[in-house]
Amino acid sequence: MTMTKPIATTRSASGIPTGRLAIWWVLASEVVIFGGLIAAYLMHRLGHPEWADAAAHTNTWIGAFNTVVLLTSSFTAVMAHQAAERGDGKKAARLLLLTVGGALTFLVVKGLEWRSEISHGYTITANGFWSFYYTAAGLHAAHVIAGAIIMLFVARDAAKNRELHRVELIGIYWHFVDVVWIFLFPLLYIAK
Amino acid sequence: MSEHKINYTKIYFTLLALLAVSVAGPFIGIQWVTLVTAFGIALVKANLVIQNFMHIRVEKSWIKWMLSFSILMILLLFYGVAPDVMRHEGQNWTNVAAQAAVERGIPDGEHEEEAAHAEAEPALAVEESDFAAAGTYVTYCAFCHGVGGRGDGVASSAFDPRPADFGAAAFWDARADDQVALAIREGGAAVGRSESMPPWGSVLDEAQAAAMVEYLKAFQTGG
Amino acid sequence: MKYIWSTDHKVISMQYLFTGMFMAVIGGFMAYVFRMQLAFPDIAVPGYGVVSPGEYNALVTNHGTIMIFWVAMPVLIASFGNFLIPLMIGADDMVFPRINRLSFQLFALSAVVILASLFVEGGGFGGAWTAYPPLSAEAEYNLTGLGASLWLVAVALEFVAFLLGGINFIVTLMNARAPGMKAYDIPIVVWMIVIASILFMLSVGPLIAGAIMLLFDQTLNTGFYDPARGGDPILWQHLFWFFGHPEVYVVLLPAIGITIEIVATFARKKLFGYKLMLYTAVSTAILSFFVWAHHQFVAGIDPRMANVFTVTTLLISVPIAELLFIIMATLYGGSIRLTTPMLWALAFIAEFLIGGVTGIFLGASGSDIFLHDTYFVLAHFHYTFFPIAIIGSFAAVTFWFPKMFGRMMNDTLGKVHFWGTVIPFNFIFIPLFVLGLGGQHRRIYNYKLFPELVDGQPLRVFATYAMLVMLAFQLVFFYNFFRSMRKGPKAPKNPWESNTLEWTTESPPPHGNWPVDEMPTVYRGAYEYGHPDREEDYWPQNLPS
Repeated sequence: MTMTKPIATTRSASGIPTGRLAIWWVLASEVVIFGGLIAAYLMHRLGHPEWADAAAHTNTWIGAFNTVVLLTSSFTAVMAHQAAERGDGKKAARLLLLTVGGALTFLVVKGLEWRSEISHGYTITANGFWSFYYTAAGLHAAHVIAGAIIMLFVARDAAKNRELHRVELIGIYWHFVDVVWIFLFPLLYIAK
Repeated sequence: MSEHKINYTKIYFTLLALLAVSVAGPFIGIQWVTLVTAFGIALVKANLVIQNFMHIRVEKSWIKWMLSFSILMILLLFYGVAPDVMRHEGQNWTNVAAQAAVERGIPDGEHEEEAAHAEAEPALAVEESDFAAAGTYVTYCAFCHGVGGRGDGVASSAFDPRPADFGAAAFWDARADDQVALAIREGGAAVGRSESMPPWGSVLDEAQAAAMVEYLKAFQTGG
Repeated sequence: MKYIWSTDHKVISMQYLFTGMFMAVIGGFMAYVFRMQLAFPDIAVPGYGVVSPGEYNALVTNHGTIMIFWVAMPVLIASFGNFLIPLMIGADDMVFPRINRLSFQLFALSAVVILASLFVEGGGFGGAWTAYPPLSAEAEYNLTGLGASLWLVAVALEFVAFLLGGINFIVTLMNARAPGMKAYDIPIVVWMIVIASILFMLSVGPLIAGAIMLLFDQTLNTGFYDPARGGDPILWQHLFWFFGHPEVYVVLLPAIGITIEIVATFARKKLFGYKLMLYTAVSTAILSFFVWAHHQFVAGIDPRMANVFTVTTLLISVPIAELLFIIMATLYGGSIRLTTPMLWALAFIAEFLIGGVTGIFLGASGSDIFLHDTYFVLAHFHYTFFPIAIIGSFAAVTFWFPKMFGRMMNDTLGKVHFWGTVIPFNFIFIPLFVLGLGGQHRRIYNYKLFPELVDGQPLRVFATYAMLVMLAFQLVFFYNFFRSMRKGPKAPKNPWESNTLEWTTESPPPHGNWPVDEMPTVYRGAYEYGHPDREEDYWPQNLPS
């Protein structure tokens, strides 16, 4: 997969390195995707106060635990960036792996949470609230999975002290995934 | 790009502390406190992550503008769409199904089949047996004959003579039920009345038209 | 084989171009079939057979979807964006060549999926390109359950492909410019494609969310758009049109950009107002977010909202008109060379103008109450989309063919094709304006079943004959295109004597576009034509003096 980078990739007329510029544009597009979904959810939730019955059944403690997991993984991601800045690729890779570990923990906990909810009859078709709950959290989880996979590739390169700038880039994406959850948590778990 | 001495550890523990507050908020039991702690803290936490972990505070400023514009567009979407979707009635329109759902509460998955039919019923004081007629009336008749059946619908002022007033005893005294059913199915001209009353035979069969006539009678008692 | 896995932006642009041309043939064939059905109802269409009502719905749905997403966008934005952007800014490739290749692969997959959707059980999706639920959500209503889901998946894949491609274009423009190329030296078409990419990116997000919800309604039996279960079909309409309206500007802006490049070159005159055009284009893009509900005036939205959207919709005609005026002002006093690309550019202005002014009647909610869902709407959007997607594409192809393929197209055949396309085009759609005003509603497979509309049948037949003539003339283009590619006279570097950087390299450009030590430096803007002090009437951007 190695190829020589075109001259174009190395130029930086805007003053921002190309990779980082691209990640910010990716985030802009993700903001409107999640924003659209959350806006649609909000409209329905505010217009249907009777959904509170359903919303009462989300487990705030599990949600809070998962929030701690994601916040911690964001912390390890930014520490990985710090290590990469200092040129310590091996440390950056270790911290990225910790971040991926956080992602896996999040997913396992979510899987158990969903299994429990489904066994109680709270399926995606049970009610409008649950439809949005699984869709929003599911879309978020898909982004967690994608981010974790990419992070593994970046960690592999970083351990060999190659492409260290990508540690920061995958970190920025990861923080965004964290920020989305920071909003999903109160929406789905606290605002009952 | 240097990180300008941000203490990530301190930020991390601040985030955890804020999380604890937002989880504790609901226990106080006052709704506005819950909302402020939940969403206000979410905003603060997000801001901390964005500024410090994502280094927005040392990034070129137009990145902030670009992201703010995205968020602005979402706000535009929300405020442009919510009047139709979040609210359930407005100028000359009512979302009957949604209002009914709110009043009754959404049932469990296994009951949704029959409950869906029940929820098509608007919040009018009519009998259970007339539920199909109520929804049909609102869809096809109320525009001219009015939500209350008094001939005072939104379009009524355009007609001369006015649409029939089903709440008036005089209307029912002057004609037989099957004449009314015939007018419904074949139009006003078929019973020697205004041709502004269209034929609805493609919507209602004879049994349904008869049921509709029964439904219309209830308007006499302010139904 | 090396062409399939290539990451060279020029190869990828060819891949998009040929895919787009192929899909145009498919979309055009669909139009042929359904227009024959309308003109001669329930008689077997030659080359197809008898058109059932369900098939008619599938044909019009997929014609619209394919023409917008698999012809207009790939040709105008993906193909010409990929080809022109690195060349015009003096770069050797896009900044992310492998993501570029991935974008095309996703796009190709989406094309396969949409074509596959036509052949599954039940046939292609028949719920109109706008896919309103509950028709689009319930297989028992649309009778094309599998086709509907495949259609949705294809569109979603296409969106992802264009999101990725768009990011590549934006970052390449922002970062990879040649030394000396300041913001105002960038050719307008490059700006337009990048602005269009940003506009696409920001407007498509909510629809992607909405499409996921629709897919779940279709496949998992959720009730996102089912009012009986707390959902709202109007939400889909809003999400769709929040994207759908900016989308038309996503395709319009590149077409205007292409027109500008051609007009400046063949009028031998400086662009009338570069900064004005740039800022007007940006304002149009921003304003386009505020007009979407004019598609929903009679859908049951709150009438007070309709008032607001009428005002904003009428307002947006101002910057668009201004863009056309700038083009006309550029022409005025120029030394006009009526080559084939120039004819196409001029036709774009004339035909789009008609499309634009007829939009005024639709943007005002009062008149829209009558005109909504009639053929007036259809004629309006064909008078806008056809100039954008077809005239714009032919303009671009005939203009940049020498650079892309290293040979010249035959100009006489080009002119024959031009007149054989543009004249019949008007004879197809002016009758449709008349029919629409007369009350003919859309999406009906046989108007002879409506006593009050039977009288319009001669006009329908006339329009169909005009379409047959127009389709026949496309053979001239295909012959010219493929023959010139192999046997046309070799093209010099700069056959049109144009200023922009792509004309400073070989035709076709080599891999890397310029030798590594001869990458261009830019000294001036892109529109220095007819400069009084110079002997030549053009002044390439890369010449030191």
